[in-house]
Amino acid sequence: MTQKLLMGNEAFAHAALEAGVRVVAGYPGTPSSEVIETIAKLRAQGVAHDVHVEWSTNEKAALELVAGAAYCGARTLFTCKQVGLNVASDALMSLNYVGVRGGMVLFVADDPGPISSQTEQDTRRFAAFAKVPVLDPASVEQGFAMMRAAFELSERYGTPVIVRPTTRVCHASAFIDVVDETRAHALPEGGFQKGPEWVIFPKRAYEAHGEINDRLRAIADDYVTDPVLAQFNEHAEGGSLASGASSGEDEAAAQSPFAIVAGGVSAAYVREALSLIEHEAEAAGTQVPPYRFLQVGTAYPFPEQEVVRFLEGAQDVMVFEELDSVVEDGILQVAGRHGLQLRVHGKHDGSTLERGENSTRQIVFDLARYFRRAHGGHPVMPILEAAIGRLELLHYDEPLPVRPPVLCAGCPHRGSFYAVKRALGKQDAVLCGDIGCYTLGNAMPLDAVDTCLCMGAGITMAQGFAVAEPQKKCVAFVGDSTFFASAMTGIANAAYNGHDITVCLLDNATTAMTGGQPHPGTGITLMGQQSKPIDSDAVLRALGIEHIVHANPFDPHEATEAARSAIGFEGPSALVLKAPCIQLAPPKPPVTISNEACTGCKKCITSIGCPAIGFDGEAAGPASKGRGTAFVDESLCYGCGLCVPLCPFGAIQGEGEDA
Amino acid sequence: MLNVLLAGVGGQGTVLAAKVLASAAQSKQWQVRTAETIGMAQRGGSVLSHVRIGSEGEAVYAPLVTPGTADLLVAFEPGEAARALPYLNRSGIVVTARSTVQPVTAALSGQPYDGEGVIAGIRAALAAQAPEARLVVVDDKAVTQAVGTTRVLNMVLLAAALGTGRFPLSIGDLKDAVEQCVKPQFVALNLAAIDEMTQQAAPLE
Repeated sequence: MTQKLLMGNEAFAHAALEAGVRVVAGYPGTPSSEVIETIAKLRAQGVAHDVHVEWSTNEKAALELVAGAAYCGARTLFTCKQVGLNVASDALMSLNYVGVRGGMVLFVADDPGPISSQTEQDTRRFAAFAKVPVLDPASVEQGFAMMRAAFELSERYGTPVIVRPTTRVCHASAFIDVVDETRAHALPEGGFQKGPEWVIFPKRAYEAHGEINDRLRAIADDYVTDPVLAQFNEHAEGGSLASGASSGEDEAAAQSPFAIVAGGVSAAYVREALSLIEHEAEAAGTQVPPYRFLQVGTAYPFPEQEVVRFLEGAQDVMVFEELDSVVEDGILQVAGRHGLQLRVHGKHDGSTLERGENSTRQIVFDLARYFRRAHGGHPVMPILEAAIGRLELLHYDEPLPVRPPVLCAGCPHRGSFYAVKRALGKQDAVLCGDIGCYTLGNAMPLDAVDTCLCMGAGITMAQGFAVAEPQKKCVAFVGDSTFFASAMTGIANAAYNGHDITVCLLDNATTAMTGGQPHPGTGITLMGQQSKPIDSDAVLRALGIEHIVHANPFDPHEATEAARSAIGFEGPSALVLKAPCIQLAPPKPPVTISNEACTGCKKCITSIGCPAIGFDGEAAGPASKGRGTAFVDESLCYGCGLCVPLCPFGAIQGEGEDA
Repeated sequence: MLNVLLAGVGGQGTVLAAKVLASAAQSKQWQVRTAETIGMAQRGGSVLSHVRIGSEGEAVYAPLVTPGTADLLVAFEPGEAARALPYLNRSGIVVTARSTVQPVTAALSGQPYDGEGVIAGIRAALAAQAPEARLVVVDDKAVTQAVGTTRVLNMVLLAAALGTGRFPLSIGDLKDAVEQCVKPQFVALNLAAIDEMTQQAAPLE
């Protein structure tokens, strides 16, 4: 045993290994990616034995792969981000009907905010839709325990189980005790046992649906009776009546304990808010009125008995959760079924945030607003007002530079976007983007991404634009990892239906946005082997693309000519722009800008918007005529040299040139 | 409770700084939680690292510092100090580097933003809104040039913060944590940065 400061996702990885996971597969996506990376790292270090770990081509491939392994009895783990489950949903919906033999955990990370995602969808809702149990951790420690419990639960009932943390659990760190070496559980004797249950037919699906309903009822009971699972619905209570009686019509309500229920990381914020308020009460020599708190960590099936017991005697309950009103809806259902005299406050009545992230501060405000509205004379109000006064924020009122994320200095995509824009010139065009770093090509001055929908959509959407508005040029940018994950069917469609689009493959040899994971085009695997990289050109040709051109994105002249050729071709064409991500390539010496030669025309800045080129309006040079001059931030410049030929006055010097 | 917020630009080293503080707190047997910005914002955007330490033995529930409660705001450049100012509590300490990181938007507009102006603005905001709060401006260039690399900026700033003596962690605690958290080949460099900073000792305004 060693105690380590682990990020949530690292802790989830350790927990899965300690639970004996044998086969792990997924597709990268923030905030989920570090689980597989950690398992691969521990395997490579020789401390995680007998585990197979891989980045699969996409989420659907990963889930189907682990399904096969689970049929054999292996404990398996699938990982993705919330939108990744959409991709794997076809497999998941049917898989739950077939069931699994070895424990199967789906680690699906949600992203309230959203911070790095296209949607605020709620995987707890998806779990209910698929009729799959879901556990919802409030902290790194709880997530660690849930991951282990999820394997047991899965195996007990032959059901996949989802563990659904959110970003603030995935990317938070805490000290966790982990075992130093792990070994995967052995496969059960005989491995895969053939039988009719593995082939899903309509008649079998009807039977299986009944089995699913039965097991969900049994699991809802387990959430209350099984001590390991029951601990995930954590109770707390506090406060006291000693602080004085209230007056008025709401006296009864004020006297009955105020009930608070929370799901996920909101439970941590509620606990924090309560201790903040208690601290305030203590300072004022009083106590907060009685309250009771429940975290619903077993979100689906809903732990009905537990919640009914918790709500006994309560007249008001406030529910804090991010994304959807899953727990709130569960309580409303329970209240209806059990005839509880209960007012339920949450997203539906506007008592809590209906989107975005919760926070400790927000919860203090929500509680204050509730008590102010419901019980003007409630004894907790002065305490809450004091807490709010303390949370009044300092402010800086002068304008600040905005700092949106940008393509890194030295990023090859910058040259690719520049070349395509130049090749298009004044032609009317639609530039479809996709998911990855290159979505950032949307920013000024590149302004080269007009749409972004979901993985692989750019290529197929471009075809829709081409059909609807044939007079426009339609270009679809796609990264190399996205290409293999979900672009190939779209390319086949373009060739099959003869759509006039240009696929612009931005091949930087990695999955950059999520931290640099390998993919089929690299041939690098997490098992330490090198397979033959799949040649994207061969794929494009095989899918029916006959006009394929190549260029180095750092050579603006060559890349622009290549883009002209691809865009000018009638019918589907491809432009392949290949250069490694800066995460893979060492930097070269920074470029220099001659203060003597710079005229202050800003062409370098307005063409490519590199973060390493700044402009000083006060700086004077012999050629600048009071306009100021551009300068290079040497700590950021990667020496890619893209800017060198763009200067009309030859003021920028790159590696190996005379300064 | 000791709430620390580290504010910077993606790639400046806030994550390691958070780790080092967490390790220092752990060695005192205090509960600690940290949280990071990971994902799109890392690409040159504003990033925050949160460190929450139960320095009086209390339980730490939430991983994020809630606005209005940071005892210490460590900013890796002045604009980010100003942006994160709402996190500071009324008697907190802001430690900021003097050097700016200019965003692309500033270049496009033709004017680098004025770091000294922002520092003056922070000073004025604190004087008007939170007279008990304090500001420490670190001449980071002088220290990082002496050490030979800007990569140690995180340890320079932590040394400046703990050097105020206002926090329950000392320079010694910081050095011990560096030895535990930093890759062995970089330990000496980081320790040198801490020593250099403590010799230069930025004044508490």
